[in-house]
Amino acid sequence: MKGLAGGLPLVLLWALPLAAGLVMALAGADLASWQALLAHPQAFTALLLSLATGLASTTVSLLVALAIAAGLYGTRAWERLQSFAGVTLAVPHLAFAIGFGLLIMPSGLLARLLVGGQTPPPWMTVQDPLGLSLATALVLKEVPFLLVMIWAVLARGDSAVALSGQWRAARSLGHGPGSVWLRIVQPQLLQRLAWPLAAVLAYGCTVVDMALVLGPTQPPTLAVLVWRDLNDAAAEVNGRGLAGAMLLTLGVAGLFVIAVVILRLMRSGMSAWRISGPSRLAAPRRIAALASAALAFAFVAVLAVLALISIAPRWTYPRLLPDVFDLSVWSRALSDPAPLVLSLLLGLATTAVALVLAVLWFETQPTRRDPWPTSLALAGLVLPQILIVAGQYRAGLALDLTGSLAGLFLVHLTPVLAYVMVVLAGPYRALDPRYASVSRALGAGPVRSWARVTAPLLKAPLLSAAAVGFAVSMVQFVPAQLLGAGRYSTLPMEAVTLSSGGNRALTAAFALLLTAPPLLAVLLAARLGRPRWG
Amino acid sequence: MGLVLELVSVRLHGKPLVAAVSLAIAPGEVVTLMGPSGSGKSSLLAFIAGDLGSPFDGSGTTRLNDRILDGLPPERRRIGRLFQDDLLFPHMTVGENLLFGMPRGAVALRQSRMHMALEQIGLRDFEHRPPQSLSGGQRARVALMRSLLAEPDAILLDEPFSRLDSELRAAMRELVFARIAAAGIPGLLVTHDVADAPPGGRILRIAPDGVLQHA
Repeated sequence: MKGLAGGLPLVLLWALPLAAGLVMALAGADLASWQALLAHPQAFTALLLSLATGLASTTVSLLVALAIAAGLYGTRAWERLQSFAGVTLAVPHLAFAIGFGLLIMPSGLLARLLVGGQTPPPWMTVQDPLGLSLATALVLKEVPFLLVMIWAVLARGDSAVALSGQWRAARSLGHGPGSVWLRIVQPQLLQRLAWPLAAVLAYGCTVVDMALVLGPTQPPTLAVLVWRDLNDAAAEVNGRGLAGAMLLTLGVAGLFVIAVVILRLMRSGMSAWRISGPSRLAAPRRIAALASAALAFAFVAVLAVLALISIAPRWTYPRLLPDVFDLSVWSRALSDPAPLVLSLLLGLATTAVALVLAVLWFETQPTRRDPWPTSLALAGLVLPQILIVAGQYRAGLALDLTGSLAGLFLVHLTPVLAYVMVVLAGPYRALDPRYASVSRALGAGPVRSWARVTAPLLKAPLLSAAAVGFAVSMVQFVPAQLLGAGRYSTLPMEAVTLSSGGNRALTAAFALLLTAPPLLAVLLAARLGRPRWG
Repeated sequence: MGLVLELVSVRLHGKPLVAAVSLAIAPGEVVTLMGPSGSGKSSLLAFIAGDLGSPFDGSGTTRLNDRILDGLPPERRRIGRLFQDDLLFPHMTVGENLLFGMPRGAVALRQSRMHMALEQIGLRDFEHRPPQSLSGGQRARVALMRSLLAEPDAILLDEPFSRLDSELRAAMRELVFARIAAAGIPGLLVTHDVADAPPGGRILRIAPDGVLQHA
């Protein structure tokens, strides 16, 4: 195991805490905990709710994203949509859920626009018992993510060249654009979307903060139930929470298996159709234009509603604009800057450390060792976060790290570095190693060679990894809440707490406060990451 | 009859690359078009195929067997293309690749045409193989048969031999020209190597001013 030293920091600060979380979670639930879980009257319904919202939102998101891509692939609108989708990714799920809830609630802007009347309509649009508002918000938030993933697959150097050639060949063989998409592009695309889709599915089934804002309450989703149990002072209730986290994980794993089987069956069912001969099927331009316009409208409306409500302490129904504008809520939101400062500091610190650890790994370890950290990172992204965090919380209690900044830092670093690894691994290893060899041969030391040659060549991926890492850190709710142990508060925690209270203006202000830093980071990374020429 | 170009021009950023070409290619004939790289010969093929995208633009009339092709999308032109790369679809077997462009019809008939094509290129047992498992020469032959099984009315050859080594190259050249002659369709070959041209065929050259000259 020669030369492992450069990879050691990554193992110690990231892999070990992540693995510890998994081990502690898996070892934590004893038989009594499982019995308590099974005796819980709401557990089964909650599990069904979790799996149904996750599965439904993932399926719909995939269909919408594919329809948009099929209709716009190869056009200028596709490139434009890409930058829009990239920006919307930076809007935190939690902030979007808060804004979406304020938009669709009975006295929200949507009802004012569509229904009117003197009193708000009797809608059950937020926290509806079937989880429809939660699933809808998930769809709106995941479609841009899937679009960015689809774009990344289609635009990757090797596949872009191959696909444009195959596209021309298929057209010359008599196939229309819609047919080429369905028969040639989409099958190759779906294989490479497996990981992002798994992550979307796992996220949808297990998200806590969005479910607290928009999800059903009687019963809530299983993730919320688990989160409540983990927060309980009684040890046996904690144990039931761990068992619940494992049940949720098993449920998600079951969905993975079912999804794989269905996709397999579809693929073999499609193979006869694929070779049935040329078809002049056109691209679904109109559907794609409609869907992307609806998506853009949703994001603009949600952000506009947040901004309006944050400066409108009074807004009587059914007026379309607030009665008075007033900035007092903002001065209240900023009167205690501690949560904002802590969130920013944690974001900056974890991003900086994650980048250093990742670069150290790539610079000192041979490519053949990459599967270790990258598969651990992928596991971290597709396993329910509540499971990992539940284990990390137990480990934190044992090591007396709860309620400490060190504990907070480590649990934030876990997801941040996972994303940084996933974003960086491809571009880093795709860089021709001969550039570094040449610069070393020209007399540059390893540090100078990295700073002057490698880093500039990898400017765009390094910056976007930094932006993604920072954004991921900013939105962590469950890890911050559990490890903060009441002693520390971060922005997402404030936003969740406020959203269950009555002060809509202050809630909206915190949702915007939560949105601004990641949005700025992503815009800044895109701006600075532009290539030097052209 | 055949493939007819009338005053076809291709421009890059509005600057002419190929100027006012008029050319008629008879069924069964293969005309060779030569020129250095960047001279616009591949763009001319893309224009004929209906596949020319920005920053290029083209003008002029293309007729194929007295059908006017101007404005038609690529899939409605009945023009086959062979490229430098074989561009076999990597997620389909060799047999599926061959069936992909074959006109619709009875399954058994299409299957037997596919088997016959494999036989003709000496790849009888390769139907279920993924294209990645074939050698470069085998893949090139499959790509040729795939475009011919789509029953094109003309075929455009964009340096189809340049990725093959010299031994394969001679065999492939012979196969391509024999198959095109058997299909009785006009062909336009673009290359920078005069040895690629079919023996006794017409050879044209794109001059620096974009005008076509007999070589």
